[in-house]
Amino acid sequence: MPSLTKMIFGNGPLGPSFAPFIRQHPGIQKYWARWSNFYKNAAGYRQKGYLYDDLIVEETPQVQKALSRLSAKQRYDRVFRMRRGLTQSMAHKNLPKEQWVKADEDVRYLTPLIEQVVAEEAERAEWDYMTVEKIQQKRAEKRNIFSKREGTH
Amino acid sequence: MYSLAKLPKGQSALKTALKRSVSSKASPAGGVSVIGFENKGPAATSSLTVAIKAGSRFESTPGVAHVLKNFAFKATANASSLRTARETELYGGVLSAGLTREHLYLTAEFLRGDEEHFLSVLASVLSSSQFHAHELKELVLPVVQSEAVSAQSSPVELALDVAHNLAFRKGLGYSLYASPHYPVTIEDVKTFAQSAFSKNNVAVIGSGISTESLSQVVSQAFGSGSAAAGSSGLKTTSTSYYGGEARIPLDIHAPATSVPTVVIAYGTTSPAGPELKVLKQLLGGESSLKWTPGTSPLSQAAEKVPGSSAKAFLLPYSDAALFGVVVSAPTSPQLAGLAKEVAQILKSAGSGAKDEEVKRAIAKATFADASASETLQGLVANAGPALFAGGEIKSESFSGVSASSISKAASELLKSKPTVVSIGNVNVLPYA
Repeated sequence: MPSLTKMIFGNGPLGPSFAPFIRQHPGIQKYWARWSNFYKNAAGYRQKGYLYDDLIVEETPQVQKALSRLSAKQRYDRVFRMRRGLTQSMAHKNLPKEQWVKADEDVRYLTPLIEQVVAEEAERAEWDYMTVEKIQQKRAEKRNIFSKREGTH
Repeated sequence: MYSLAKLPKGQSALKTALKRSVSSKASPAGGVSVIGFENKGPAATSSLTVAIKAGSRFESTPGVAHVLKNFAFKATANASSLRTARETELYGGVLSAGLTREHLYLTAEFLRGDEEHFLSVLASVLSSSQFHAHELKELVLPVVQSEAVSAQSSPVELALDVAHNLAFRKGLGYSLYASPHYPVTIEDVKTFAQSAFSKNNVAVIGSGISTESLSQVVSQAFGSGSAAAGSSGLKTTSTSYYGGEARIPLDIHAPATSVPTVVIAYGTTSPAGPELKVLKQLLGGESSLKWTPGTSPLSQAAEKVPGSSAKAFLLPYSDAALFGVVVSAPTSPQLAGLAKEVAQILKSAGSGAKDEEVKRAIAKATFADASASETLQGLVANAGPALFAGGEIKSESFSGVSASSISKAASELLKSKPTVVSIGNVNVLPYA
């Protein structure tokens, strides 16, 4: 299990979040779910017809890459929701109640893709800064030349 | 201290290197036919090639074979494409994929002793490639596009591609390259790969490794429910020869290296025999000595126009062959004169050849045949089709070839309608 700090702050463009930590603990998750739902309904984005993932800040390279991986339909729907939401915002109006986004419709369509991109970057960084074990062994051998000499004699 | 006596003698080392045990029998390992060629001697590298009967002739959507070739070594269930590449670098290996009209080759070259790792890489490509949609868009299609563009800008490659299309239309006539006019979706690639990567459609060729040890590792790697069992769903039409003419203007923006080119070819719908191989050497075009054009009729003709070349080619397939000449010259008017001359030479090919010329051509063909199997590419090109055909690899016998048999084969070949592709200034270039 990764460290708590990494869990909270290591989410890249998704920002600091307790969610990975909470998901690890079913008890906390069960308690927290009601607050989560309360927050999502109170935030008001569902009343404007947005999904949660429409609110993620998209001005980062990772999110841009994730957006490029959406299917054509997903991309179209995203733009449609944004235009509709902007219109509603300008009119200071919510959508009619039957058009509000229901909890089961609020799908995380972008987050998995962002996580995928972040994981790819992390993997690349890991390979870029890795040390080959053989090199490490050689270095260790060089350091204690005396012990090696004793061993060979 | 070293003494000279302890050093390996150059002579004997060379001899052992040349003594190449070629086991000509394939052995099935876990449903996959396998053959290993052991290099005795100082060679420190091995190579593994997976030959898959999934060349462009089998494709269901235009260009899908080309896309699948570039999808090799991308994400699998075991490793991402980055991981595969970096691990290969650490092992000091080289992974490559090649596509011909009949086969798709996935090759790994590596230091001896690393075969287990690289075989598992090859096996996972066949069994668990993920075919992510974003990989198609981000990694595969740009490469496909640049390969297609570079093939388009090379007149010889373009001419041969068009010649195949004219000659065979379907099957072998399909282009090796994906075209922007026919988009390939990820679903097309998945279905093509699924039917291509079945066990009876796959053969493994190893060099620097014995057949026994290779079949052992292959049955381990391919045994555990990897490449789907059952027969391949890929179908191809039986080849028939049509022939025809195509005239394509040379792109004015083409690089200076692309010169006007004419391909004159004749096709057969039977596999190429030894006579055609000798006929290719008889017509020649490639000098075996530096600074001299040689004595072959084609190189004599090309000698008259500076900077031009005329080379005979033979492209053998499992059920057909395309034989012809590629002519290129610096300008279209020069090419027009040369092409007419070459057409005359081709029409009278094989007739009236002197015995010593035939002897020379047979010797050249024998050497070309033998030396082809010294390189990995040549070895794979020989062994791949042979494994699928029945599993026995024989070196071509030229003992039955004579002047009369050559002229008979040539007259048989020249009966068919010619395939002519002219690329250059089409107002100047001659018609077929």
